[in-house]
Amino acid sequence: MKRSARWLVAVSAITMSVMGAQAAQAAGTSAGTTITNTVTVDYKVGSIAQTTKTATNSFKVDRKVNVLVETQDSTTVQVTPGQTQVATKFKVSNLSNAALDFALSSAQLTGTTAKHGGTDTFDVTITGIYLDSNGSGVFDSGDQAVTYLDELAADGSKIVFVVANVPLGLGTGDVAGVTLKATGREGGGTAGSMGAALSETSSSNPMDVETVFGDSAGAADAARDAAHSDGDDYTVLAAALTVAKTSRVVSDPVNGTSSPKAIPGAVIEYCIAVSNGAGSAAANTVTVNDPVPANMTYDSSFGIKVNGSVDASGVCSVGTAGGTYASNTVSGSLSNLAAGDTKTLYFRAVID
Amino acid sequence: MAIHDAVRAALLFLAASLASTASAEAAQPLELHSDVQVDKIIVAEGQSKHVLSEPDVVVPGDRLVFRTAYSNTGTQEVTDFVVTNPLPAGVALDPSATVPAEVSVDGGQTWGHLAALFVTDAAGAKRPAQASDVTHVRWVLKSVKAGEKGEVTFNAIVR
Repeated sequence: MKRSARWLVAVSAITMSVMGAQAAQAAGTSAGTTITNTVTVDYKVGSIAQTTKTATNSFKVDRKVNVLVETQDSTTVQVTPGQTQVATKFKVSNLSNAALDFALSSAQLTGTTAKHGGTDTFDVTITGIYLDSNGSGVFDSGDQAVTYLDELAADGSKIVFVVANVPLGLGTGDVAGVTLKATGREGGGTAGSMGAALSETSSSNPMDVETVFGDSAGAADAARDAAHSDGDDYTVLAAALTVAKTSRVVSDPVNGTSSPKAIPGAVIEYCIAVSNGAGSAAANTVTVNDPVPANMTYDSSFGIKVNGSVDASGVCSVGTAGGTYASNTVSGSLSNLAAGDTKTLYFRAVID
Repeated sequence: MAIHDAVRAALLFLAASLASTASAEAAQPLELHSDVQVDKIIVAEGQSKHVLSEPDVVVPGDRLVFRTAYSNTGTQEVTDFVVTNPLPAGVALDPSATVPAEVSVDGGQTWGHLAALFVTDAAGAKRPAQASDVTHVRWVLKSVKAGEKGEVTFNAIVR
């Protein structure tokens, strides 16, 4: 960076140094480091400089176990009923001053308040915990199922996904809360295998390296238990479809279209309206099937109209030709129904 | 034999030099003792107090008190008494405690009040020195009289 004003540079350097100091504080001096303090004393006796005297003392920095689990989803993860392999995203940071393994475990809330404020109402089926092994930041096929993080360096962090399937039959606004807990395990052992459980140790020798738990309480764990946890949640957004079927007499052989009556030979129009509730998920590939009633004959000259609208009295209009008639049944597909949308399928039949 | 004589002479010389060292020590009887303690804040009955303990358990972020006790056990006054203490790697001066009057941020080349010192960053710009920049602390006493004892301390934080 090039700056013209020297003062500006000075101000910026202060900010940077403060930030640097904070970053260094996260894990800090490595466990087992010997800190030796050496004092030297120079002095004179009768104006004659004497031999310099020194004194020293030493102690070793102990191992502070501290871990932080934080959800990376700023809002709830939106799901639809029956959706599979949906990920909630977490970051596990090793704030200890030594490399450690971390056992990972997931759990579900039981009716309590979930991370993003909703109340837990159902359980998802957790299919696994995955490490973002390809570093993409999103859950994908390159990610690896894990039960622990191997040899996470001091100040190191990993992105981890809790992946779950959502059951069917849920309504919009249903919430499933999950938690991810990371528990420190002995590090520095064999790579590829989880280290032994940690315990706090004490010794009266300053040169021994003891283990101290310095973690805070998480969503599902206590302070100073070598573990930390955080929550995340899934919220269901389902489509809320309703169907209404109306009919009207279009014409009869006696009156024509003027006040027609439902007598033999009269033409009846059936209107099927499908609506998606406000605030719902969009409904895709909606198909409508309607058997033509007994004693009626499908009117092939009118055909089938789809994606039409309906007025307050149940009269369908402005549909486009589509759909099929087979085995005495009318079928047709409607285009995607956004929240609050209504689309219709209508056809005509003649009374035998 | 000649070899025996040489060995005897060497031994005599060694004895003499040991004796002279001993007498020199006797002439400058200054005792030094350096220790370090952990300064823990313990909250009990709603009140927090500082408790100093042995550095058995020390983790990053802990506060330390480094102490150097001196004692003039001789019969002569000691003058220009300078205690120099380079900060060990892994600790930083505690900015919230009293900072010794004379510190250095350049490895002991220049000394002064922390507030009067500057450091130069990698880009060549000068900025006021912070407690975390201090590399050495020192205390200068004009004189330590015969029989006088005292101690100097500084507070630091494990990085």
